[in-house]
Amino acid sequence: MTTSPDVTRAPTTAPTPAAPPTKPPGRAVRKATWYAVALLISSVMILPILWMLTVALKGPSAVFEVPPKLLPHEFHFKNFIDGPKVIHFPRLLLNSLVITGLSVIGGVMTSMMAGYALARLRFPGRKVWFYVFVGSMLLPPVVGIIPLFQLFKDIGWYDTWLPLIVPAFLGGNPLFIFLARQYFLSIPHSIDEAAKVDGAGHVRIFFSVMLPITKPAWITMSILAFQMSWNDYLNPLIYLYSSQKWPLSVGMASFVTQFAGQTPDWNLYMATNLLYMLPPLIVFFVAQRYFIQGLSALGTVNQR
Amino acid sequence: MFLAPALIGFTAFVVYPLFRSAYFALTTYNGLTDPKFVGLDNFRRMFTTDPSFWPSVRATLLLVVLYVPLSLAIGLALAVFCNQRMRGVGLLRTLCYLPVVLPVVATITLWKFVFNPQVGLANQVLNWLHLPTSEWLSGDDSAMPSIVIVMLWSVGSTMIIFLAALQAVPTELYEAARLDGAGPRTVFFRITLPLISPIMILQVVLQMVTALQAFNQPKILSPDNQGGPGFSTRTLMLSIYDNGFPRLGQVSQFGYASAQVWVLFLVIVVVIAATARFSSIWTYSDHVS
Amino acid sequence: MKRWIRCAGVLLSAGGLLATAACGGSSGKQSDGKATVTLMTWESAATNKAIDQALTGFHDPNITVRRIDTPNGNYSDKLAALTQAKKLPDLFWCGNDTEQQYTSQGLLTDWASRLSGSSDFGASSFVSSTMKNWKTADGKIGGVPSLLNTYGIWYDVDAFKAAGITVPAAGWTWDQMFDAAAKLHAKGAKYGLVADALTSTDGPFSLSTYALSAGGKPFADNVHQPTKTTIDATYTEGVGKVVAGIKSGAIAPPGYDISNQQGLFAAGQIPMLWSGQWLAAGFLTDKPKIKYGFAPLPQVTKPATLYDAVGICTPSYTQNADATFKVLKYLDSTVWTKVLPDSPVAAPAYLSAQNAYFGALDKAGQTTVAATVKAGLNTPTTIGVRFTTQWASQSNDLITAYWPDILNGKKPLSDLQTMTDKINDVIKNNS
Repeated sequence: MTTSPDVTRAPTTAPTPAAPPTKPPGRAVRKATWYAVALLISSVMILPILWMLTVALKGPSAVFEVPPKLLPHEFHFKNFIDGPKVIHFPRLLLNSLVITGLSVIGGVMTSMMAGYALARLRFPGRKVWFYVFVGSMLLPPVVGIIPLFQLFKDIGWYDTWLPLIVPAFLGGNPLFIFLARQYFLSIPHSIDEAAKVDGAGHVRIFFSVMLPITKPAWITMSILAFQMSWNDYLNPLIYLYSSQKWPLSVGMASFVTQFAGQTPDWNLYMATNLLYMLPPLIVFFVAQRYFIQGLSALGTVNQR
Repeated sequence: MFLAPALIGFTAFVVYPLFRSAYFALTTYNGLTDPKFVGLDNFRRMFTTDPSFWPSVRATLLLVVLYVPLSLAIGLALAVFCNQRMRGVGLLRTLCYLPVVLPVVATITLWKFVFNPQVGLANQVLNWLHLPTSEWLSGDDSAMPSIVIVMLWSVGSTMIIFLAALQAVPTELYEAARLDGAGPRTVFFRITLPLISPIMILQVVLQMVTALQAFNQPKILSPDNQGGPGFSTRTLMLSIYDNGFPRLGQVSQFGYASAQVWVLFLVIVVVIAATARFSSIWTYSDHVS
Repeated sequence: MKRWIRCAGVLLSAGGLLATAACGGSSGKQSDGKATVTLMTWESAATNKAIDQALTGFHDPNITVRRIDTPNGNYSDKLAALTQAKKLPDLFWCGNDTEQQYTSQGLLTDWASRLSGSSDFGASSFVSSTMKNWKTADGKIGGVPSLLNTYGIWYDVDAFKAAGITVPAAGWTWDQMFDAAAKLHAKGAKYGLVADALTSTDGPFSLSTYALSAGGKPFADNVHQPTKTTIDATYTEGVGKVVAGIKSGAIAPPGYDISNQQGLFAAGQIPMLWSGQWLAAGFLTDKPKIKYGFAPLPQVTKPATLYDAVGICTPSYTQNADATFKVLKYLDSTVWTKVLPDSPVAAPAYLSAQNAYFGALDKAGQTTVAATVKAGLNTPTTIGVRFTTQWASQSNDLITAYWPDILNGKKPLSDLQTMTDKINDVIKNNS
């Protein structure tokens, strides 16, 4: 009664291992192929950056060797100091940080507020407004460049940072508004009810309740807004006159001196480029977790 | 009101420029003297005498046709690939997204150097693999594909969205399918694709709009920054910019540029409307919006 | 949450303060009779430093000179934006085309009266062709020529020696150049000759030197007020030779990325490079690996070259025209004598300053450069490098539609006539 069932069961379990005897080696092959492909993909994604590092470490004449060597002979770490010096890196870094910081705060705040309004407040035509906002995402930005330039010129904001920052505060970004609204819609109304019972008005609910819950959403927006502002090149170029006010993106362009017939110092440029890329990278790595979570709000859109 | 800041900005920075540029489209305006009303002259010139317009339409279409299917296919493939539970998949996902995080201007100039036919990495790798080299951005026929490659490098953002969509598919469906004896291909085409079809439609629209509006890549990557060689990479966006903010020694034609902007805008609207129209056929949805 | 709001508030006000600090623009007008004159160049960082240094020698208690930085690679974007905003600096580097276009639109200060009235800074103080080319049809002149560009062929002496060809020198012919390109390409160079001036939208004008040199007609009869464009038999012959060169791979085709050409030449990767004398200044600081020389443009029977003078323009709304003119005079006459010895970028249009330039070249041992520039300045037969008209962008588009394809062999030579006809239509529509 105790041992015989085990004994008799043993032979009956024999056939089941026979069904996937190919499984262990098959799975190993699948695993190996997966890793091989993964390696290939990773290298495609990262090779250009590694090459940039290589060029950044090269001496001035080594850049134009044919065939280009992957590993530099000498390691010119000094490039990382000389390069930034060329464009007054610290000042431009500060400029970029201020401009980007303010744009991010403005953009995220406004979009979150707009999203909240569209999701929670009841007013006529809120669906229409939503569609209008999202629709404006499809406008080529070039449509506005000339009239906007004239507008800012007439107000007297030329050669200030205001054209770069104020639209973030006052316009928000349709993509962010979309994200915000979706996120708010996914929060059950019971939370609102609970807060209202405690006597909270919309403002209180927004700041004390909603914002903490929607962390992934606004962190994602912050990261995206950061990237958009950090990378923005055309707008600062058009609106800023004095070189002390430039953000880094325009400063980097000063390396590429095609006009005077001078070939840019690629090694210095790549070195400075790497430094220029560091802040967005750091921001991304720090907030990665929330970012993936936040973007999935876009991925789970089933209501339009 | 909560909506106030967004509304003010929207009116000032979106609606107003929209109408103003519609006005400009009917004028000749060099930005310095007052605009002069010329009616539909700009459009007439665009469609008949401008030697750059139809080539730019061709370049834009080429970009769209090359970029959109590839970015969707690669993005989806990468998403499926990264949806496995393997060790290191998190790192892989991060690496795939890395190109998107980096500043665009920085990476584009990097790629320009990579694609340099004489001293760039691309030809060196090809040489090493004993494959024929290419002129990349300098060749008439290879220029646009090269630009598309650079744009595809940033496929990480597409991938992430697909990944999220894939992860939203309930696993019970997969188990039920497996129990029914369905192979991976059937599972993919009969279950996965239909369930992510709303996202797919969204992605199609987003990628098409991206391709139609692409500016940084064709501009910075082309050898003369004007859409060279010849007109091979002069997309409509480049044409618009060149007319509005021309190179040294030429006069702005804001009126004409605004007219072109409106043509592009209408194309975008048509594309989106068409996709939306057909989306109900392609998608599988279990709610009604 | 409250702390977060407070944090945000602090950040906002800090940012606001910084933003307003960044708001203060510059003003040239000061109530106590002192003036600030602003200046914008497209020179490299090294040359700019030399200019700043030279400007310290400008002693006038009532005038401060301030140079505005701009990234060279985006000079045209910057200029367009400043023009739109009506905030052009008092003095800015400009090409002949910009000067012609802006003057005819009334955007620039007309210096004609001051130049004719002055004896040491008047029309006769400059190379005569420059003054002629810088005046508009109605005698106005919105800028003063500063430097003259001389185009020629930079050649790699070592590569020529290795291929057993004699180096180019004054009097060499187009056929010799094509021949050399073919031999150098056969010897292993990717391209024997890189000549963006022949393959870009400036190509039709550059190739006019062939026709002119053979006794034929240039592409356009005048680059400032053209009446028509023509293609004659000698011109077509020249184009045909370039087409053959591109087909054989000896000459770089249209689309060749020139942003690295100077670096590649210095590294010995380009044996012949059609470019301008300004590379000499760069070669003094970044010494090339190779032994190099600079030869004049080739000829058929008599010498012909391109004419290109750049200058300094002043907007019509300059705050203090007298102060600006004073600085302008100092720049064009004296500053170059101080800058050129260390940074010999070009020959000044101002005759008395030319010695500084040639002296610098001789001191640096760039004898071929000096010889070629001198020859170029003394060549009587010249053609401008491109149209300076308002409608130049339309003709450029037409050129882009035909020229690269003709050179690549995708369109027949007969299409040259089609292109010319269409450009003539544009000229007619705009006259």
